[in-house]
Amino acid sequence: MPIHTTSWESVGPTLDECIKCNICTSYCPVAEVTDKFHGPKYTGPQAQRFRENGQPHSPDHSADYCSGCRVCNEVCPTGVRIAEMNARARAQMAKEHGIPLRNRLLGRSDMLGKLGMIAPGLANFAMSNGLARSIAEGVMGISKGAQMPKWSTEGTFAAWLKRSAASRLKSERKVVYYHGCSTMYYEPYVGKAAMAVFEHNGFEVIVPEQGCCGLPLLNNGEFSEAEKYHHRNLGWLAPYARQGHQIVGTSTSCTLTLKEEAPDMLDIHTPEAHELKLAVWDMFEWLRDLHQQGQMKTDFQRLEMVLPYHPPCQYRAHFIGSPVMDILPLIPGLEVRESHARCCGGAGTYVYKKEKFQIAMDVGEELFTWVDQQGPQVTMTACTSETCRWHIESATHLPCRHPIEVLAAAYGLYDLEKRRLVEG
Amino acid sequence: MTTDLLVIGAGLSGLMAAQTARQAGLRVQVIAKGLSSMHWAAGTVDVMGYTAEQMNQPVPRPLDAIQALSAAQPDHPYALLGAHQVQAALNEFAALADDLGLPYTGAATAGDNLLLPSAVGALRPAFLAPRGQVAGDASRPEPMLIVGFHGLRDFYPELIAENLAKQGRPARAAFLPLSLLAEQGDRNNVHLAQALDDKSRRMKLGSELKRLVKPGERIGLPAILGLDDHAAAFAELQAAAGASIFEIPTLPPSVPGMRLFKALRARLWQQGVRVDAGMEAIGAQTIPANGAAGRVQWIETATSSRPLRWQARGYLLATGGILGGGFDSDHTGRIWETIFDLPLTIPQKRHQWFRPAFMDPAGHPVFSGGIAVDGQMQPVDAAGQALYSNLWAAGGALASVDPIQQHSLEGIAIATGVAAGQAIVRALVRA
Repeated sequence: MPIHTTSWESVGPTLDECIKCNICTSYCPVAEVTDKFHGPKYTGPQAQRFRENGQPHSPDHSADYCSGCRVCNEVCPTGVRIAEMNARARAQMAKEHGIPLRNRLLGRSDMLGKLGMIAPGLANFAMSNGLARSIAEGVMGISKGAQMPKWSTEGTFAAWLKRSAASRLKSERKVVYYHGCSTMYYEPYVGKAAMAVFEHNGFEVIVPEQGCCGLPLLNNGEFSEAEKYHHRNLGWLAPYARQGHQIVGTSTSCTLTLKEEAPDMLDIHTPEAHELKLAVWDMFEWLRDLHQQGQMKTDFQRLEMVLPYHPPCQYRAHFIGSPVMDILPLIPGLEVRESHARCCGGAGTYVYKKEKFQIAMDVGEELFTWVDQQGPQVTMTACTSETCRWHIESATHLPCRHPIEVLAAAYGLYDLEKRRLVEG
Repeated sequence: MTTDLLVIGAGLSGLMAAQTARQAGLRVQVIAKGLSSMHWAAGTVDVMGYTAEQMNQPVPRPLDAIQALSAAQPDHPYALLGAHQVQAALNEFAALADDLGLPYTGAATAGDNLLLPSAVGALRPAFLAPRGQVAGDASRPEPMLIVGFHGLRDFYPELIAENLAKQGRPARAAFLPLSLLAEQGDRNNVHLAQALDDKSRRMKLGSELKRLVKPGERIGLPAILGLDDHAAAFAELQAAAGASIFEIPTLPPSVPGMRLFKALRARLWQQGVRVDAGMEAIGAQTIPANGAAGRVQWIETATSSRPLRWQARGYLLATGGILGGGFDSDHTGRIWETIFDLPLTIPQKRHQWFRPAFMDPAGHPVFSGGIAVDGQMQPVDAAGQALYSNLWAAGGALASVDPIQQHSLEGIAIATGVAAGQAIVRALVRA
């Protein structure tokens, strides 16, 4: 049975723009390190000729090894939507062969988050326990080498919001904050830093009810479930978009999903979906805009450090340049060095899959070597995406921060070392 | 985003203009839809290979030919600049390339065109070539040994050698196993070049070449001798083989073109110039001209949500022509410049695009038309007046030349890119 016909028809025909120049394969970080992925040109536009929406078998299963980093889309001179073709091929394969339990689990970051929060200390212990991880790898195929995020031991972001409700800023200028699952369950301090930056700039922050954006489901080919997630979020968020609010997120992958991935991949082109798409901003995209209007506060303290920054792959699909590099260098004393590595290798849930773990490490080598070359004065790195941060931390053995934590620290509101707000 | 100069297009002309403007102290940003057509080119600097008058004989001395052309074709980009300025821009390029560690040289007789073997064994005229290609010049007497690899697509040493021999250039072919270069089966030219960035691999290849080559022969190899460590790879391979080596540019992706692109981009990065790919310009706001020239206010690129607006004091359009994607067309024959909808000298009826004969030495109007500019590289209207006071154009999009047919693609890109960069500096630094 055909699925998501509109999106199929919007992406499929771009294969006719392919002039077979192979730039994509030459820059693909995955094809460079493994034969299991035949490269974007073959798996994308070439295999696409043999795909038909709803056909019983998919011609090229190597699409499963595409990490979705979108380097191919970025370098393509003619606008072929290669990464999207591969994503749809994966959805077709999932439909055909079913989705393994592991991928169903990895696709549900909200459920994992909630489960772990029942007893976060115990859950963290299990996830850092070699025996438990060996069992997880043997039974489930979850790579034991990949660094699992740590469940927050200080409660969820929502619980902190509730506790601090009385001290939140009230203002005429309002902004809506979309925090996503990782801030909710694993890294509430990223959300706290964002709140501090919003309020320091005079904005009252509305944090509406919200759910997982559905990207992990999309990545694992579970489109029907992702559809339910997006409709639920539309119910919660679209009214704010309609009222003219800007909806700002700290996770580059969540914001990308709300803007484009979900409506595009799932054929959700209702007026509400369109309003939401236009209302969503990446945190630094929003700050850059504020700064261009001359309204971003620049009362920074000096931050004496060299900070290697890796822009995550999702920025490529946002098509907004590298907004972090337009803001962080404003901080006196801070020397931000931008990585030009193609991908950290982690690619969301990719690195957690046993058969892909080594590929993820090999892809990231370019970045890890570069970080190493920045010298011993480097004590931490930065990246805008959560799963990338976890992967970069485990490979470089250096803490990796969200740039919003760095900005909050420069405002004197945040302890970058201890990852908590400065009291007072 | 605010900057002095926004360069749209990351091809050779755009990058040369960006470099020229940055060197003069301007703040520069480069945006491009994808990575540039340099990835498709041989990596040589073709200045003038053929003229319409003599399509069967390569031009022996391009700079002399430019002088001759200036009188007959006053609208040709070279004529607008003059041979002297073209030469100066080429010198600047050569000095920059030296500095980037990718030295370019010309023929043994200064001012002559080189004649370099292509991947089908034809001889291509080029004015400057990367050092790694120069030993292939047909003016040299040594017989050639063309070496390919079993399983490497699109490089057939027998075909090359046979075609060279037919043209009176003695050549023979040999094969080596692909496993010398890579364990993995499915590798393209760029992957193989990366493999030869590894010293131990090139030593293995070097000793195999030494075994194959006869005294007095020079060795032609596909252009895969290192990507990021080419200079060392080339020197070590020659030493290990005990013979002169030359690279033959392959079908796309072309490693020599990619090396130059990466080196130029890295130099711009070092100087604080951002080069952002994936930025497709979809519109512009201009203030119309009321008798005088108008102004470009901003351009917009497509994002995953609302369009992103870019503001600069000056804008350089370097998006290429039909090949580079700077022009688009529809089935009726209408053809237009995609960002500013600048007037084009291309006929707007499909039957006028082509001459009746496919190989007509005069070329086809659809390929030689484009954006008409003045000597400052500013797009002009039919009366020759600049359209916008802060807009310049360079490279493949320009009118009055078919750079593919003329074999002048890189010469035009460098000459007009540098000229536009200098004109922009004059306009913006003074202002």
